[in-house]
Amino acid sequence: MNGHEHDRWSEDVAAYVLGALEPGQVAELERHAEGCEACRNELRWLQPAVAAIAEAAPRREPPPQLRERLLAEVRAGARAAGVEAEPEGGLAAARHRFGTWLRGGGPGTRWRPAAAALAVVVVLVAGFVGYEVGNDGGGGGGATWTGAHGAVTAEVVSSGGGAELNLAHVEALPPDRVLEAWVQREGEVEPVKALFVPDRDGNASTTIADMHGVEIVMVTREPAGGTMKPTGEPIVQVPIQS
Amino acid sequence: MAVKREKAERLADEELMPLIGAKDPEAFAVLYDRHGGAAYSLAYRIVGEAGAAEDVTQEAFISLWRSGARYDRTRGSVRSWMLSIVRNRAIDALRAGAGKAPKLDFDDEAVLEQRPAPERTDEQALQRETAGELRGALGGLPGEQAKVIELAYYGGFSQSEIARMLGVPLGTVKGRMRLGLEKIRGELAEGLA
Repeated sequence: MNGHEHDRWSEDVAAYVLGALEPGQVAELERHAEGCEACRNELRWLQPAVAAIAEAAPRREPPPQLRERLLAEVRAGARAAGVEAEPEGGLAAARHRFGTWLRGGGPGTRWRPAAAALAVVVVLVAGFVGYEVGNDGGGGGGATWTGAHGAVTAEVVSSGGGAELNLAHVEALPPDRVLEAWVQREGEVEPVKALFVPDRDGNASTTIADMHGVEIVMVTREPAGGTMKPTGEPIVQVPIQS
Repeated sequence: MAVKREKAERLADEELMPLIGAKDPEAFAVLYDRHGGAAYSLAYRIVGEAGAAEDVTQEAFISLWRSGARYDRTRGSVRSWMLSIVRNRAIDALRAGAGKAPKLDFDDEAVLEQRPAPERTDEQALQRETAGELRGALGGLPGEQAKVIELAYYGGFSQSEIARMLGVPLGTVKGRMRLGLEKIRGELAEGLA
């Protein structure tokens, strides 16, 4: 490490800690700092000043419903994390029950997967609409499918082996309710351990870890903590084209 | 098994983080009660609107819930880590609201007047920052130092953008940032002495 290089980067340490360095220079400075103890010391020295600036924002009280929403989602997530420890037999039994429920054994809407061979498909079953709006075509990006029911719209964007599920125009939920996502594979529906809540604008999103073999993604409203079996009709469904 | 609220309240932030990483909702609730106000205040200061500040705060805490295990105590306190997440998300929201990264054609008033409202974020930010609303750590700084720091930290502008906005050389902006941070840091050190 020579002094000239340190002097050059030392000028930018303040901008770095304030988040004001040009995007392309951030990684360069970090690489330099790895081998420059003087710069590391300067960074450590200035960090508390930045923390003080963050604290200098005029104090405002967050609305109580923000805390309620956060804790509802967190408690739902905690319950979902606990579900992972359930013995395999429990999930297999649940899959069977959901299949029965979807075939008409419960209060849900009857529907079937869309034909996989179509590049663009519109499925209209019992008021639900789903269509594929794009795929990677070998270009490296993820495929996207959408669905809608009433005002609620849903988008499933594949990413690696999983997908992001994004909803819009979802009505606000009472504190004791959450959204729960489900997937159908080979005609059987199973929970994906994805519990979430909409934000103030009615947007909600979650992640589906494994999209292998998924034919349909759907979302229901469930009691906080989620369920092993849907208790109501889906608020939206998204047919997935392989 | 989640810890009881009373026990969680006795734990330091750094001790709560492993519990949050293990998806303990009570640990999360205690952390929110300690820092939610500061997080919301910072978000509001940056985005300037209650609904957006709420969304930013919610996203930041959910991000912490999902990635709590990634907290590295060698890089600072939980609170400063949390506030850095809020700051980054608020700046993202600010830019998303503008539809793009801030534009910088400041010297042409006619162009500014003709721009759609979302593209005028940088001008509005400059006006807000120069309105003299300086508090706390920034209150003791010379105005030109406070201005560049506020534009950088609360406005999300890069040092080059700030130089163009203010019509001063880049080196001047670097110097003002440095002097301002050093002064704040020096006062913090004196307060601890």
